[in-house]
Amino acid sequence: MTRFVLRRLLQSGIVLLGVTLVVFLLLQLVPGDPVRVALGTRFDPETYEALRSRAGLDQPLPVQYASYVGQALTGDLGVSFRSGRPVTAIVLERLPATLSLAITAVVFALLVAFPLGVLSALRSGSVFDHAARVFSQFGVSVPDFWMGIMGILLFAGVLGWFPPSGYVALTEDPVGWASHVFLPAVTVGLVTASILTRFIRSSVLEVLAEDYVRTAEAKGLPTRVVVVRHVLRNALIPVVTVVAVQLASLLGGVIVIEVLFAWPGVGRLTYDAVQARDYPVLQGAILLVAALFLLVNLLVDLLYARLDPRIRVR
Amino acid sequence: MSSKRFRGAGVALALTFGLLAGCSAGEGVEVDGGTQAGVGGVLTAAISGEPDQLDPHQTSAYPSFQVLENVYDTLVEPDANLAMKPSLASEWDTSDDQLTWTFTLREGVTFSDGSPLTAEDVVYSYNRIIDEELNAAYRFATVESVTAPDPGTVVVQLTAPTPNLLASLGGFKGVAVVKKSNVESGAVKTEPIGSGPFAVSSYSAGDSIKLVRNDNYWGTKPKLDGVTFTFVQDPTVALQNLRSGEVQWTDNLPPQQVSALRADDDLVVRSAASSDYWYLALNQARKPYDDVNVRRAVAFALDRAAITKAAKFGLATVNQTAIPTDSAFYYDYAPYQQDLAQAKQLLAEAGVTDLTMDLMVTNEYPETVTAAQVIAAQLKEIGIAVKIRTLDFAQWLDEQGKGNFDSFMLGWLGNIDPDEFYYAQHHSAGTFNFHGYRNPAVDNLLDQARTETDQAARKQQYEQAAKQIVDDASYLYLYNPDVVQGWSSQVSGYEVRADRAIRFRDVALTR
Repeated sequence: MTRFVLRRLLQSGIVLLGVTLVVFLLLQLVPGDPVRVALGTRFDPETYEALRSRAGLDQPLPVQYASYVGQALTGDLGVSFRSGRPVTAIVLERLPATLSLAITAVVFALLVAFPLGVLSALRSGSVFDHAARVFSQFGVSVPDFWMGIMGILLFAGVLGWFPPSGYVALTEDPVGWASHVFLPAVTVGLVTASILTRFIRSSVLEVLAEDYVRTAEAKGLPTRVVVVRHVLRNALIPVVTVVAVQLASLLGGVIVIEVLFAWPGVGRLTYDAVQARDYPVLQGAILLVAALFLLVNLLVDLLYARLDPRIRVR
Repeated sequence: MSSKRFRGAGVALALTFGLLAGCSAGEGVEVDGGTQAGVGGVLTAAISGEPDQLDPHQTSAYPSFQVLENVYDTLVEPDANLAMKPSLASEWDTSDDQLTWTFTLREGVTFSDGSPLTAEDVVYSYNRIIDEELNAAYRFATVESVTAPDPGTVVVQLTAPTPNLLASLGGFKGVAVVKKSNVESGAVKTEPIGSGPFAVSSYSAGDSIKLVRNDNYWGTKPKLDGVTFTFVQDPTVALQNLRSGEVQWTDNLPPQQVSALRADDDLVVRSAASSDYWYLALNQARKPYDDVNVRRAVAFALDRAAITKAAKFGLATVNQTAIPTDSAFYYDYAPYQQDLAQAKQLLAEAGVTDLTMDLMVTNEYPETVTAAQVIAAQLKEIGIAVKIRTLDFAQWLDEQGKGNFDSFMLGWLGNIDPDEFYYAQHHSAGTFNFHGYRNPAVDNLLDQARTETDQAARKQQYEQAAKQIVDDASYLYLYNPDVVQGWSSQVSGYEVRADRAIRFRDVALTR
């Protein structure tokens, strides 16, 4: 078990190194000069060169990359072109907002998708099943920014139940946090819930068709016991993977929703960094997202072993 | 435009100004004998973008200047009519040869941390911009030296007479007086120390910046206890925040709703003609746009009123020159009324048929995208097929710098002196002359006017230059947009300014 974790961590390190190289090279391909953007119309060749050299952009690419990786190993991800502040601090200070939004959204999504998906599978073909499928089709088809704006207009505008946008740290004011996180979390969570509902439904349907379920029913077990002990336990293993992937992608920041709700998370940071061609910040944000993805995947693999004794980690 | 973050480079402009404030309901506050209505409180302002940093000499982003307008001071500053008035300098003298300017500093001015602001701080600030070639260095092009003979006096020595020196030294907070130790520690990026009416108390990245009243301020003490700036990019969301009372001020209103909002009793929506302008430029380094007849044909094909209506929902004034009507340098000249017959004839004279024109616009400034569609429809009438290319701003600037365009639409924001309106754009050595305009007569006029100390003669020189620029269709000027801002009826004492500077020092909040 310990060896497994250590090996996975080592692999993760190699993957992260690959991520830095790919991201670094990709950024060179993106049209747009960060120095030009920073100067805007007050362009002047001398000011341009001065800023370019302060940002280290006059160095050859291999030198830029080597110095980046070298410093990254010590936890120093460089400094932002725009603000001159350390990237590590910039990225980490956005993490709490994104974490709290992602986790709240996934919890909301599970609360909706679990009953919906299981019930519609158990009552496959019923009116309830059709309604659930319409809901999930709606959720995956309607753009999230549109749902977000409608939510703001209804719940913040007409009803006045929640603030339209903004952020309060959970540690500072839990009630304020809850009222601010509700609308963005529901908006994000509805999409996730739709995806999960469809997945849970089909997973449960698949298990229901298994021989051991028929056997369990044939030996006279009450439906409740069959569903809980045999169906759900087996159906939920793949669901764990999907939930984990959803969570990991939300941890990367929900760009459109964070921008819309003025939520100070990693997604909004990424958006601003792209606009300004702030490469160090962009690299830092992508690296963080990649690291979170790897971490979540590792946890899922460990969780599998707990859920299903047939799976061993070696 | 104005509602977007003038990010970074804000294009043409951004550099110049502003701040906005906002308000938020403060808890009870006692200020200066808090019995008066409207004293105290914290105003929360929703601005559309987040400052990149708060070092006034290093940033070029409009959101930064929206905040810094309330934090820093300059030697002089523009009043409501954009005339330069005393600020840190109480008075100044100019030598007979116009090469030595002596500024007398106001007495007893301190930074918000209580330390005295002296002539040495002014010298340090200006030399920092000049020596490190920071963004505003171009404003000091004719400055030979800045010295402090005594703590209350700053002497600026010039290499040539510079009639617009005051606008250069006070037009915006990018030339503010900073504190050396604050800069050298690096704290200026997030915790700047200025001498203005408010001081930065906290900065929560991605969310808000809080200012508190500077009790050491040399001017009339602000009535507000503080100002909190929040960053709300979506105008619909900003408006909801204003309606629900989460914020008390915003400059990010949905343009299509402005006329309806003016009738709303709970809100105050005001606009003022700005000193910005938006224009179309044709690349004179490419055929056939090197032919003045082709450029004039395009100018005659445009219906500026229709473009303005589509792009700004009427919140703009059509103008065929750059400088807006209420400026002392306004020049009333409008030779191009839409005339398709004349446009076609000019194209025929140039021998141009079947022309396809690339038009580069940016989603950073959505009004250029909207206007481009109207321009395309209008040019189709004279047989020019317009291909609209919408880029993000970084890529747009790249293409512009490389000259990869037939035409583009953009704006310049926050200019005050006519030199800022014309020199960089139309002088053959101008740093923003990416469309390749060359006219020795215009070069001459712009060079002369730069150092002309007789105001009447200077105005005349700029008028001659402007006439030539318009006749040559170097830029096809379209309109001057309005600055539109909205606030809660609780807010009093706020004035919309033509230069988009947002000043909260005289604002009060009733609860």
